[in-house]
Amino acid sequence: MAYNKDLETREVQATWDVTTYQYKLDGRGAKVLADGMKEKTIRGIKCPQCGRVYVPGPTYCRVCYIDIDDVVDCSDEGVVMSYCIEMADVRGNPMDEHRVSAMIKFDGADTWFIGTVHGIDPMDVKIGMKVKAIWKDVTEGNLGDIQRFEPV
Amino acid sequence: MIMSNVAIAGVGYTPVFVSKRKDVNIAEMISESVATALENTGLTPDDIDAVTFGNMQTFEGLNMPHLWSAEHILAVDKPTIRISTGGTTGMSTLQAAYYYVASGLYDIVMAVSWEKQSEGDSQVGLAGIVMPEAMVMVQHGLDLFGGGGLSAMGGGSTGAASFQAMSYLHHSGADPEHIDKMAALERSNAALNPYAHLRKKTSVEDIQATPFIAWPLRFGHTCPTSDGATTCIVMSEEKVRKMTDGNVAWITGLGSATSDPSTANFLEGQLTDPAEQEPARIASAKAYKMAGIKDPSRELDMAEMYNGFAHQSLMWLEKLGCCKEGEAHKLLDAGALNIDGEIPTNASGGVFSTNAIGASAMNRPAECALQIMGKIEGGHKIPKKIRKAVSHGWGGMFQYVTVMVLADEPMKS
Repeated sequence: MAYNKDLETREVQATWDVTTYQYKLDGRGAKVLADGMKEKTIRGIKCPQCGRVYVPGPTYCRVCYIDIDDVVDCSDEGVVMSYCIEMADVRGNPMDEHRVSAMIKFDGADTWFIGTVHGIDPMDVKIGMKVKAIWKDVTEGNLGDIQRFEPV
Repeated sequence: MIMSNVAIAGVGYTPVFVSKRKDVNIAEMISESVATALENTGLTPDDIDAVTFGNMQTFEGLNMPHLWSAEHILAVDKPTIRISTGGTTGMSTLQAAYYYVASGLYDIVMAVSWEKQSEGDSQVGLAGIVMPEAMVMVQHGLDLFGGGGLSAMGGGSTGAASFQAMSYLHHSGADPEHIDKMAALERSNAALNPYAHLRKKTSVEDIQATPFIAWPLRFGHTCPTSDGATTCIVMSEEKVRKMTDGNVAWITGLGSATSDPSTANFLEGQLTDPAEQEPARIASAKAYKMAGIKDPSRELDMAEMYNGFAHQSLMWLEKLGCCKEGEAHKLLDAGALNIDGEIPTNASGGVFSTNAIGASAMNRPAECALQIMGKIEGGHKIPKKIRKAVSHGWGGMFQYVTVMVLADEPMKS
């Protein structure tokens, strides 16, 4: 029972097809958010008990454990809570243009939302800085309607 | 709390932790650590009352590895459960063995943990955690990996961890260079550890020469993917007295806690800062109370932190009360985290140097146990006498924490 670098067991290739799975999820909060985006509005769901506003909203408050359905509008401006500068893509290949990916808390919301920040040298981005959503000219009612974020 | 004292009586590692064990299959590899644990304790298969078993879900594409390898883990005719709690799996598996023995149900339980990452695709395994949520968001127009406004996880798990690293740096006052320094320290520790995977003495300059994946994290700040297994044998006090020479490591405290998912919660909004890690405070407070530790910053002789990424060792020292918030990088600068320092941190090289994921959170308490017993093989033996040690596991969607305190003496009843 020792490590034998030279011995090779037989290798058999196999695949597991994830497209055979049928995921069912309640995406109502995501739909509320996406539909609002057609009107260039950030919509979340508020808990009447603790007052937390979720973007996108779940159907229950994750702190109070009660059902919630109170749709509220938030600002499309917010604060950078954390960020990174992406220098490699998801497959590990270096990216020619570095990109700021930020976690943003919209004013009026309690959750962090993800987006890219442009119009600033990546090294100048700071936690706590104010940013605003830059909308597409023609919105379609999906999460792609926010083109990017820029410093206020 | 009325429970029996429980000890780790012995540890068995596979002969190596490497990228690809081509000479053995999964069950054969696991059995190496099981056999070594028996050899190190002088026990026979008949002495083992029950087996707990842990590895990651999906990573190797095997659904019931504990039953597939039943003979290899000496589980025939015995209770056997599989535990899979993400990065914390190894410690959860050991904690389950502890529950068995502390409850008085069994006397000697074997906890087996492993991963053979070369036989699967770890990024597919990780993606499986968020797949349904991500799919719903993609259907609503989220540009998950693209260049649009709502990009997400550049750089895979390192990309996700970079948000935590940046928040940690911001709130602690540490510089990105402190991550380089911690990385160099742990890799150099690993060079002394025969069971570490990446074993090369490494300088800060070596780390800084590696490319960035997502600022502030570099390639040199990230863990490897390893093949390897670890087995711990857990024993009641009565059996320790009867069957060993008494040189064991006592599990004097343990805790675990979760928060909400603090990363990649696309569908319901992320509530929590991934660098906040309240569960670490909750779990460690429980463990310290149980172990009778009042001031962890003074009473602990060593720490083994779960650190997939190099900034995390510093972050966990603060969250687990080994120092004040914002002080860990100062301890690093003062040399206190070195093997011969006041609170040697990851003398083993940490998860950051060896990461057979299912085993990673068991290697932390296993290393503490071996240091307490004076049975460390290799140059990473801590020169002072270790009386109390804290070990830690972390994982899930950045939110689940396990803590185990070990000591050279059992708790007095």
